[in-house]
Amino acid sequence: MVTLDSVSRIYKNGESIVRALDQVSLKIGDGEFLSIAGPSGSGKTTMLNLIGCLDDFDEGELYIDGHPIGKMSAKERTAFRRNNLGFIFQSYNLIPVLSAFENVSFVLELLKMDQGAIKEQTYKILAEVGLSGLEERRPSELSGGQQQRVAIARALVKGPKLVLADEPTANLDSKTGEEILALMKAMNERRGTTFIFSTHDAMVMEYARRLVVLHDGSVVSDEQRGR
Amino acid sequence: MFLLRLAVKNLSRYKRRTIITAVAIAVGIAMFLIVDSMLLGVEQESERNLKWYETASLRIHTRAWWEDRLFLPLDDAIEEPTPIVEMLVHSGYQAVSRTRFAAELILGYEEFGDDGYIPVTITAIGEDDGRVYRFGESLAEGRFFTPGEMDGLVLGSWLAEDIGAKVGSVLTVSVRGKGGFYEAFDAQVVGLVNCPNPNVNRTLVMMDIEAADQYLGMDGSVTNIDIRIADTRDLEAVQRQIQQQLDPSLVVLNWKDLAQDYLALVSSKQGGSYMILLLIFIIAAVGISNTMLMAMYERSGEIAMMRAMGMEGGALWTAFLLEAGLIGLLGSLIGSLLGILANLYLVEVGVDLSFMLRDLDMGFRITNVMYGAWNVGAFIIAGIGGTALSMLGAVLPIRRALKSTVVAALGRQ
Repeated sequence: MVTLDSVSRIYKNGESIVRALDQVSLKIGDGEFLSIAGPSGSGKTTMLNLIGCLDDFDEGELYIDGHPIGKMSAKERTAFRRNNLGFIFQSYNLIPVLSAFENVSFVLELLKMDQGAIKEQTYKILAEVGLSGLEERRPSELSGGQQQRVAIARALVKGPKLVLADEPTANLDSKTGEEILALMKAMNERRGTTFIFSTHDAMVMEYARRLVVLHDGSVVSDEQRGR
Repeated sequence: MFLLRLAVKNLSRYKRRTIITAVAIAVGIAMFLIVDSMLLGVEQESERNLKWYETASLRIHTRAWWEDRLFLPLDDAIEEPTPIVEMLVHSGYQAVSRTRFAAELILGYEEFGDDGYIPVTITAIGEDDGRVYRFGESLAEGRFFTPGEMDGLVLGSWLAEDIGAKVGSVLTVSVRGKGGFYEAFDAQVVGLVNCPNPNVNRTLVMMDIEAADQYLGMDGSVTNIDIRIADTRDLEAVQRQIQQQLDPSLVVLNWKDLAQDYLALVSSKQGGSYMILLLIFIIAAVGISNTMLMAMYERSGEIAMMRAMGMEGGALWTAFLLEAGLIGLLGSLIGSLLGILANLYLVEVGVDLSFMLRDLDMGFRITNVMYGAWNVGAFIIAGIGGTALSMLGAVLPIRRALKSTVVAALGRQ
């Protein structure tokens, strides 16, 4: 699914050079439920941004589903994201003037699907994430957990093979956070979608079936978990 | 469709800011419409008053007279005007002969309280002058001179007021006749004209054409033949047609040729007005630019999310341009509504400027009330212009927002 082959991301600030990711090699298979952990500045978000085709890397190569991302133009990467990737953000990033339904369906609008299919798929995914009956509510009329459920529905509605989540439970209380993780895991199992999420929360790490720990831009541990 | 829906919904997001920006645009649009209406109204009325009281539609001079027109040369008069007037009347036009000449009005101490003189241009007219001009409706006091009346003068009411003349006042007229001889005669003010053309009220001196013929030794010649053409006719086509029928020593001029100073003034005043409007629009554009900049800044996370989800730059441009355009459209609609209300008042009631037009020569040929005029084209321009301007004002903020990377925008949250 995802292969990082000696990937480095280097930031230059005047004379100083920071290797946010340093020669990282990693293989992530289909259907994995993987957490990237590590302290602040360890390179978690940088790695997610690279896998999400949102940022450029300076060395190595990244393959997603066999596609060499480094060889793609910016336009091709936008199209690749649109067709293949889903994102969940820490602060949900829902559009406040749109209803839950519209926040989810807009992803399908980008794919220029017909309105009937958009309606059907959107209602279905909202039901799957437990938001039946709340489709017409705006984000301000939903709780934090419900908003993150809308964000999960938005990431999954087009049926991507890979979903990336940057600290998805950081803005939630522990009970709601656990519910969200349970939901993500259920979706992973039901749909076979690969989930990669970053965290520094021990409870979140507990949920991962594979835990990759970064420190100073390098992988310091990579272990399979039983749960 | 989704982009339009999103733009419409985003308008309701910052209601106060949207309304303030739209109102700023509306004020600019309304001012544009008001100024345009007044300029057009003033132009239309000035054009009418020029033709009715100063230039007629067309005028025939000898080419020699036209070349030396600043000196009003009597030696270059039209020697045989009658056949030309008859030809014109036969062709279906209204035409009259006139003679314009330079003179001095000498004011006596007994009559005016001081000795002195003023240079004037006297227009000598015949009894058929009403076929082309409208002075008959503008007599404010006294009467018109009768045909052949040797000592009757009609003055513009403001000129009479300025020199202290009244109906019955006697003054001396000093002129140089055809060939250069000097002549002077006493004349009595028999009437005062107050017409809608301030230039005429301020300068008009008229006398009978037969009397002028005798005093100036014109022997039946006149300096010009003035022609009235219906406004519905193609003036320049008629001008060419008449020119073809005349001796080449004669030239046919239209009112625009004769009122070039007025046209230059209108053009420069329009330029000044449009500069003011441009400034108003720039202020409105800066307003919308600021509104969009704030919107972009506040929505950087959303924009980054949409880009991460695979929204193309073009679609984002469309979404935000639509949003700015809708604010502009809203402003244009409010501005047009205000413009319609203001125009209704301007067209029906007008603005009374009599307090300033008497002493201030603005160059326009209007007196007292300045009326507006409807200009559908201006409303269309205002609508399209307001919307397009708003979109233009949004270009820089959108460019700036899309210039930053998705990662940087997410990091700013």
